[in-house]
Formats: sequence, C-alpha cells, structure tokens
Amino acid sequence: MMDNLDKLVEKSLFILREAKAQFKNPAVMWSTGKDSTTCLDLCRKAFFGKVPFPVLHIDTGYKFPEIYEFRDKVAKEWGLNLIIGKNEKALSEGMNPEKGRFDCCTQLKTDVLKNIIEENNFDAIIVSIRRDEHGIRAKERVVSPRDKDFKWDYKNQPAEMWDFFSSISKEASHVRIHAILHWTELDVWKYVQRKKLPVNPLYFAENGKRYRSLGCMPCTVPIESNANTIDKIVEELKTTRIAERSGRSQDKEKAYMMQKLRALGYM
Amino acid sequence: MIILGFDALDFKMVKKFNCKNMMQLECGKTDITGFALERTVVLWASFLTGKNMENSIPVKGQWEFALPKNQTFFKFFDIIETIDVPAFSFRLGRHRKEHKLLAEFFENENKIEEFDKVVWGTHKDNKKDFIKVVKRACSNGELYRSTMVMGYFNLADAIGHLSFGDEKKMMKVYDELEKLTGLVKKITDKREEIILVVSDHGMKSVGRFGDHTKNGFYSFNKKLGVGTPKITDFFRIIKSFAEGS
Repeated sequence: MMDNLDKLVEKSLFILREAKAQFKNPAVMWSTGKDSTTCLDLCRKAFFGKVPFPVLHIDTGYKFPEIYEFRDKVAKEWGLNLIIGKNEKALSEGMNPEKGRFDCCTQLKTDVLKNIIEENNFDAIIVSIRRDEHGIRAKERVVSPRDKDFKWDYKNQPAEMWDFFSSISKEASHVRIHAILHWTELDVWKYVQRKKLPVNPLYFAENGKRYRSLGCMPCTVPIESNANTIDKIVEELKTTRIAERSGRSQDKEKAYMMQKLRALGYM
Repeated sequence: MIILGFDALDFKMVKKFNCKNMMQLECGKTDITGFALERTVVLWASFLTGKNMENSIPVKGQWEFALPKNQTFFKFFDIIETIDVPAFSFRLGRHRKEHKLLAEFFENENKIEEFDKVVWGTHKDNKKDFIKVVKRACSNGELYRSTMVMGYFNLADAIGHLSFGDEKKMMKVYDELEKLTGLVKKITDKREEIILVVSDHGMKSVGRFGDHTKNGFYSFNKKLGVGTPKITDFFRIIKSFAEGS
C-alpha cells in the first residue's frame, strides 16, 4: 500500500516526465542541498537511473568547502552532466556580501543563471523550492513562467486544476518547473532516510550546532541542534518551531523589515 | 522662514557625505527619545504642534491624518505655503503608489527599480513645486517673518527602506538633497531668511534594507545655541522667530 511519501514521489515523477516531454531543452538546478539532491534522485528514478538533463550549479565563490567536495563526489558517482556557472569578473572586482547582499546575490547568482540560460537556450529550469519554505514560495505554481528579467507575475499565474500543468505563457522566456513544490522539509528528510541518499555533512550537528539550510558562508548561520544523524534530524523536525531558513541572513532581514514597515504603517 | 523637511535624513550620513549646504551654522541631532516608534506622521505632527502626538495618531489611517492650522506653528504666520507636509498637507494620492509598490516588493518579490522610479518621480514633482513657491515668495518680497514656506521630501526614507545598504545609491540621494538645499540658499541669497533643515528620524542599515533610528538631523543658518532639541521644541523656536523675539 502506498504511503504519503510514495504519493508525493509519484506526483513528482509525473511532473518531471511531463517536463521532459513538453520542453525541448530543460535543465535542473542543483545547489547540493537536501532538496535539490532529492530532486536529482527523483530524476534518476523517473528516467531509469540517469539524470537526462544538464545539471546547473551556481558557484558564488563563497560556498562552504564541503559543498564543493560533495558536488564533485556526487557528480562523479551519478554521472551528471554538470554545468558550473561563476561570475569571475564580479569576483575579481571584489564583489562580496559586505558590498550589499542584494547586489552580491544579483551579480553572483541571478546574473550567472541568466547567462547560462541564454547561452544554452534552456526553455525550462527545474528548481527544488517547496511551498512550506517561505510565504512567497507558497504562492508558486508547479509550472511557473518567468520573463527575461526573471520577473514572476504572481497575479497572472496559470491555473493548475486537477494537476494539469500545461499552460505556458507566450511572454515567458523560460519556465520554472517545481517538481517538489508539494513536499515539506520533513518529507524530504524522510525520503533521504528511506533512500539512503548522500547528504552534505554540514547538515549534521557538531558541537551543538548544525546547518538546516545551505547558502553562502557569510550569509548562513547554523542552528542550535544535537541532531547528528538523519534519524535524529527527522525526529527533530517533527517538533521544531524554528523556521527552516531562519539561518539565512537575507531572509531574516527581509522578514524583519516587512514586519517593521507594517508596524510603522507603510504597508 | 523656510523649512526643508527631509524624511529620514540621518545625522551620521550628513556628516559622512560631508553635505556642507545641509550642515549649516548650527547643526546637530534632534531628540526623539520620548517616542516609542519613529513613525513619520507622528513625528512631523509633533514637530508641527509642539506636542508628542504618538498616542493621538493610530497606525491605521495615519497617512490621512491632517491637523488644522490653528493647532500648528503655521498659525503664527500670515502667509503659509506647504508642499506635501505629513499630518498637514500630505499628498496621499502621490504616495499611495509608493506604499503599494513597497508592499508588493515584500509580498511578491517585485523589482526594486520600479519602486525607485516612482519615488524619484514624486521627489522631482515636489522639488519643482517647492522651488516655484520659494522663488515666488522671494520675488514678491514676501519672505519676512510673516511668511512660512515648508517643503517635505521623502527621498532618503523611501529609497533608504529598500536600499540603505547600497552606499552608492544613498550617496546619490544625499547629493540630491544637498543640491536642493544649495538651490534654496542660492535663491534666498543675501536675504535675512531663517532656513531650517530638519528630519523626523534617522536611518540604519539592516543588511540591504534601512530601518528608522533616533538619529534625526537639524540645522539652522543662524547660531541659536539650542543644543540637541526635542522635536517638539521646534514649535517654541519657530514661534519665537514669527514673533520676532
């Protein structure tokens, strides 16, 4: 009998197969975190053990050394067609989070992805976001059109009733495919546990702290935790009341400002 | 008398960018420690009335709040010209779009450029109207103790909320306010006008964003020795100018 996780997997496999069938040139993003690694494994499951898409990794130059090690190890083991994007020019000119986190993210992440999409003519990008991560992400669709500036017109999103994901905007330069949008953080860890997937060691607690969400070193802080195995992480998530991305500076700042501007009466 | 009301003009930033026009003969920090939150409408209302208005103005509907002239220091002047002054002649219609785009930025990840464009547009409109009024007052010989011209500009506040961490952008904002002050001084050159540059509160960086602080700024083109005045003290100071004492 299928359990909840089996049902989630089945839906994700359907989305991934639809993406492969409907788009000429899709690619999948891989940060090496738990979500995108899970998504890669789902791609392997959907397509007979092999990821049939180019795998895009954005290297900001400020990632944890463990991320690079993990990336190279898994890419080799799984035979991934890895495309690594890096804004060498911005880095050589000294771009770093101290120059403003927004500019830093724009130049080292967004601009890099724009270039990769343009150079390779990708028409669909599979991204491993989940609705439970953030209020904004909760508004997302499985198939989500983006214009050339990556703008997301949330007010004009396609309806996705009865799991029909076929609507494609004529104005879109590409679409985002969110194959695990309907999963929760706990679902992802249960899948990792069940499938014994490789996991970045940064997720495991050391000296009472562990990373719950992986980003760039200067902008990510660990949470208090003693969960040093996948089983303990699963147990921890069943009771925690701390938001998953609470260790991400940018998210914290944005959430703080939103709350403060409301208190000041601007919104 | 001319008042340049700059929302969120920060004492430290004026010094950092060495804004010589804004740092007049007497300048310093204002004291708003008596306020729990640095709310724009509350602080300008308190500036205008000489009373702490925090408990009188609820957050909801605050932008619509407008004081009658007889509760403000404007009553001490025969002729008043105000441009966009919060709690008095605030042009809510113009600022509504800014507030809408600000909310959309947080809720829907809208682009910041669109917001900036609208804010700069409002600023340019206010600047045009303000300069016109100052020029008219000067040419008519009206600018004596019986006349008050006050303009309000929210450029530093609005741009700062989403971009205070972006120094280049903030430098451009402060440069614009510095030039505006310089232009007013040039228009009123050789006249005995009192010019007050004043802000409601200051601002600090929260990553890329900007949050209100108590680092408000003021400067007079006359030496008055008022030290660190409370924002409510300006009522009494302005009254004394109007009465010629």
